[in-house]
Amino acid sequence: MATVKKPMNPKLQLVLSVAVIAVVVILTIFLFRYPQKLGPVFVAALVVTLASFLLLLILRHFIITWFSYMHQRELANGEVYENYPFISIIVPAYNEGEVIQSSLSSLLELRYPYYEIIAVDDGSTDGTFDKMKEFEGNHYGVRVSCYRKENSGKAETLNYGIRRSKAPIVVCMDSDSRLTADALRYAIAHFKDPHVGAVAGNVKVINRHNIWTKLQALEYIEGLNIVRNAQAFFRSVNVIPGPIGIFRRTAIEATGGYDSDTFAEDFDMTVKILAEGWKIDYEPKAIAYTEAPEELLDIIQQRYRWSRGILQAIRKQRHLLTRTEGVVTTPLSLWYMIFEGLVWPAMNIFANLFFVWIALLYGMTKLLVLWWLLLTVLDLLIAVHATVMEKESMRLVPYAVLYRFFYILIIDVTKLFATLEELFGLDMSWGKLARRGRI
Amino acid sequence: MHFDWVNILATVIFVSIVVTLILAVASYFAYKVREARRPKSASELRQEGQMKAFFNQYNPDQPAADAPVPADTK
Repeated sequence: MATVKKPMNPKLQLVLSVAVIAVVVILTIFLFRYPQKLGPVFVAALVVTLASFLLLLILRHFIITWFSYMHQRELANGEVYENYPFISIIVPAYNEGEVIQSSLSSLLELRYPYYEIIAVDDGSTDGTFDKMKEFEGNHYGVRVSCYRKENSGKAETLNYGIRRSKAPIVVCMDSDSRLTADALRYAIAHFKDPHVGAVAGNVKVINRHNIWTKLQALEYIEGLNIVRNAQAFFRSVNVIPGPIGIFRRTAIEATGGYDSDTFAEDFDMTVKILAEGWKIDYEPKAIAYTEAPEELLDIIQQRYRWSRGILQAIRKQRHLLTRTEGVVTTPLSLWYMIFEGLVWPAMNIFANLFFVWIALLYGMTKLLVLWWLLLTVLDLLIAVHATVMEKESMRLVPYAVLYRFFYILIIDVTKLFATLEELFGLDMSWGKLARRGRI
Repeated sequence: MHFDWVNILATVIFVSIVVTLILAVASYFAYKVREARRPKSASELRQEGQMKAFFNQYNPDQPAADAPVPADTK
C-alpha cells in the first residue's frame, strides 16, 4: 500500500473543495440569471468551441476506427510464429484469496509449450499465500513457484517476481485475471520484430450481470481496445494493461523495472519502454478476462486511481513532452494522455452543461435533440463496429445509448475531481477493490 | 391528440443530463466519505507512523528512558 503524497491539511482540503464548488455554483447562477451580460462575442466563442468539440469528437472516432481497421488487416496477413521462447508468468497478489486458485488453475490450462508461473504474495492477510501454495510444484512440465514478501505494493511485487525469472519473455498480469488458452501463442508472434519491446493484450470484462458491468464491458471494447488497436498501427500503444502485458526481458531491464512512485505503474512502465525507443504492439487475440467493479462507488474508486496515477506518471515523465530527439511517438503518447485525461473530460462536461443551458434559456430544444441524436447514432455505429471486430455479443450494443450521456459523464466528473485533487496534491491511497470471485 | 416529440425528447435528455451530473457529483462525494471511513490497513498505518509496535525492541546499548538508573553510574 504505497502512499505517494504527504497528507494535506484536512482543513485546507475542505476549504479548497468548498472553494471549487462555490466558484462553479456562482458561475452557473451568473450564467442563468444574467446571460445578456456575457455579450455576443462570448456567446459566439462558446458556440465555436462547442462546434469544434463536436467536430473533434467525430474526427477522433473516424481516425481511431480507421487505424484500428488497418492494424486488424495487418494482423490478418501476419505469419504464424513457431519459435516459442520460454515465458515466465508473474502473478502478483494482495488479498486475492477469493480468486487466486481459479486464476492459477486457468494458467495451467494455457496452450503454450514452455512456460513457468511465479506467484508472489504481497503480504496478504486473508490466507492468499496458503491458497497459492497448494499449486506449488511441477504440473506436467509447468513449474509453479510461490513466494511471500512483506507488503510493498504491486510495482515492487512485480519486480520481485521478474528478478526470480530467467525467461527472455515475461508476462505481467493481475491475479484477478484469466488468460484465454491461446493468448500467449498469439502474443508471442509480435516479438519476431526485434524492435518490439512489449505487447499489450486485450482485456475483457468477465462479469456482465448488471448495468454497470455491461457498460464497462462495452467501454473496454469500444473505448479502450479499439484505441489500442489504432495505436498499434504505429506500434506505440500507450497503456499496456495490468491484466495482460507481455514484455521482452531486455526492455524491462532497460527501464530499471516498475516504479512505486505512481498509482498507474502500467502506464508509467509503458512510457518508459517507449522512451527507450522500443515499439509496443497490441494483440486482440491475447485475451485476458478481468473482474470489473460491480457498484458505482467501486467504479469511481478505480477510475479515480487510474486518473491520478496517469497524471502522476505524466508529471514524472514531463521532460519527454518536449523531447525532440528519438521517436516522435513517445511525446505524442504523453500529449494524447493529457488530452484524454484532462482536456476531453472537461470538454465533455462543459458541452453537456452548455447544451442544457442554451436549451433552457433560448428554448433551442431542436438543437439539444439534434446534438443527442448525432452523438447517440455515432456511439451506436462505433459499438456495432467494435463488437463485430472483437467478435463480441451484439447484446452490448443497445447500452451505447446510455454510454455517453450517462456512464461517460459520470466517469468524466470523477476524472475532473481526480485532476483537481492531483493539482492540489491531496493525499490518496491504493484503495483495494473487494473481489467477488467471478473468474 | 398531437404530441410534440421534439419537446418531449428534449425534456427527457435535459432531465437525464441534469440527474446524471447530480448523481456523478453525489457519488464522488459518497466515495470520498467511504474512503475516509475505511479502516486503514496495517501497512498504511505503519507508513504514517501511527501503528505502535506490539513490543518495544530491546537495545542493550541504549537503556530505556523509564528504566531505573544503576547506582554506580551516578
